[in-house]
Amino acid sequence: MKLWKKLSLVTVLVMLGAMAASGLAVIYYEKQYNQEKTVENYEQQLKFTSYSLRKELEEGIQAGYNEITMNSYVDFVMRRLEGDQYILVKNNQVIFNRTPYDLAKPEDERWGGEEPHSIILKRENDYYLITGKKIMMAGNDEYKLVLIQDISLLYEGLRQQAIYSLIIYFCATIISVILIFLITRRILKPLRELQSAALDISGGNLKRRAAVRTRDEIGSVAKAFNAMADQIENQVTELEQESERRKQLLGSLTHELKTPMTSIIGYSDTLLHVNLKGEQKQLALYHIKEECSRLGRLGSKLMSLMGLYDNDSICMENVSMQELFEQTAQIEKHPLNNRGIKLEYVCAMGNRRVDRDLLESLLINLIDNSAKASREGDTIYLIGEGNRILVKDQGCGIPEEEINRVTEAFYMVDKARSRKEGGCGLGLALCSKIATLHGAKLLIESKVGEGTQISVIFEEDGDGKGVYS
Amino acid sequence: MVKTKILVIEDDISISELICMNLEAAGYETVAIRDGLEAEAFLQGCAENEFALALADVMLPGKDGFALMEDLQKRKIPVIYLTAKDDVISKVHGLKAGAEDYIVKPFEVLELLVRIEKVLKRTGRSRQKIQIRDVVIDLKEHSVSKAGEKVALKPLEYELLVTLASSKNVAFSREELLNQIWGCDYMGETRTVDVHIGQLRKKLDFYDVIRTISKTGYRLEDLS
Repeated sequence: MKLWKKLSLVTVLVMLGAMAASGLAVIYYEKQYNQEKTVENYEQQLKFTSYSLRKELEEGIQAGYNEITMNSYVDFVMRRLEGDQYILVKNNQVIFNRTPYDLAKPEDERWGGEEPHSIILKRENDYYLITGKKIMMAGNDEYKLVLIQDISLLYEGLRQQAIYSLIIYFCATIISVILIFLITRRILKPLRELQSAALDISGGNLKRRAAVRTRDEIGSVAKAFNAMADQIENQVTELEQESERRKQLLGSLTHELKTPMTSIIGYSDTLLHVNLKGEQKQLALYHIKEECSRLGRLGSKLMSLMGLYDNDSICMENVSMQELFEQTAQIEKHPLNNRGIKLEYVCAMGNRRVDRDLLESLLINLIDNSAKASREGDTIYLIGEGNRILVKDQGCGIPEEEINRVTEAFYMVDKARSRKEGGCGLGLALCSKIATLHGAKLLIESKVGEGTQISVIFEEDGDGKGVYS
Repeated sequence: MVKTKILVIEDDISISELICMNLEAAGYETVAIRDGLEAEAFLQGCAENEFALALADVMLPGKDGFALMEDLQKRKIPVIYLTAKDDVISKVHGLKAGAEDYIVKPFEVLELLVRIEKVLKRTGRSRQKIQIRDVVIDLKEHSVSKAGEKVALKPLEYELLVTLASSKNVAFSREELLNQIWGCDYMGETRTVDVHIGQLRKKLDFYDVIRTISKTGYRLEDLS
């Protein structure tokens, strides 16, 4: 059963119960009250009549009436007192009765008390009040006065009242049931909105939010729900972007693998099936070897790039930048000398918390890139100052529209040239990744024909604490 | 004898050399170009019908292969695209632009040669004659002569000789030969091929020209 139905039903049942109980109680007490009042009235009347009668009877006795005269006298007195409702009993014998009823037991002791005693009798549909008392007077004779009154009207009134109450009760019930249902439904309407939003979101519409503006508990649940949806949307978007990046990387990788594979398969196929001249055989073997080592380089670059994706292997330590620069220069000395390129370095930085191997590999990659772009006789500058490290060359530069793309994996500005130099388009992607791990950014500034300057800018100029932990 | 000339437009040196090496071994003459713009300039300066075919890479520096189609068609050179892009859209694009064929890297040498042969045949640029030492095969007249004298060959022997000679220096497996000459539904044994090869060797004195290559099949060798 739906919550709004449950709530409405419970409310309706409780309300009906309460209304019925209070209605019954009201009617019951009204009946009691009216009955008591009526009885009291008639008892007063009885007392009064009995008092008057006593006076008259005493007068009669003093006058010394005989029995017959006395009876007539009593009859006369009773008529005068309009005693149509009374029965007078003398020595347990009815001597006056103008009521339409008979007293079954004139000797009944209940009517012999000094105070009036009342009972209510029900005969078929009529109610009768019978009340009686002794008439206090001297003499041997015992007189009892009994009043009989049809009080059906009283009950008829109560019955009418009960019927009216019942009708009002039913009308009120129907109206309130409808109202309660409507109100509960309305109060719980935001829950339906919440449900439909949840269904939409689970159905894949991550942009959907619950449009609940109420200030009650449902409102706060909706707020929390929307916050959750925001978070989920963000994470899903991030995941999608990440998987898109990986897909692109994989796509580029497959493409990059195809070229060397084509060569290797082609040359080995040729060697197997084609009758080649001696020098051509040598050429084919040379190409196979070249392409294999290209694949090897690609593999190891890719391994280091993939390795950087799981951050466990990174070891941050306090490294003297001066030392790092010297080491890098030492490694690069030989290859640069071969090309006739000079490397000059200045270090005005103290110690930093970095991963020595990764940062060294970053610098070597940047210097290698510069070397590839430089001509014989050019100089490459490696400068460390404040919170940045610069690698500057006088090489061919990068066209402006390509600058944003050079850090993409497998992106090469001059494919043919890069291939010839043994590049595989991963160097800057690797550098960019290493920089990110150190909380640094790569800034590439370049002018075609004038040279390129790549800066590694660390986020703060302290010792790198807290940037990456 | 004038060799059929094929233009190879491919930016990767090793692949370019691979193609040239094989085409030359198979008896074609090749010209290799490694840049789109260079190809455009070269085509402007070359005569019509100088090249029987062009093999073009799609992703080229300067000007891509699809864009070169116009220049190639101006010189009436049929094109086979050679590319690492193996998606259907690129293929459809290439073929719709007027390419004769579309070969996806990595490819096999024999496949490349057979496809070239097919395109040349279709565009009517096949060689008229093939000469191997003193043997001349006249493809037009379906005749073979050795040192000026006609040699009588059975039709299947002739087909076998033409197949081997069209892609000379390239080894064919017995299955491939069966497929090409007897047709793929021929249920014969590979022994049939051996018998016909024996006949050819005997009739043309090709004992040292048609060589048996272990684990592969047969190859017609001629490095002239």
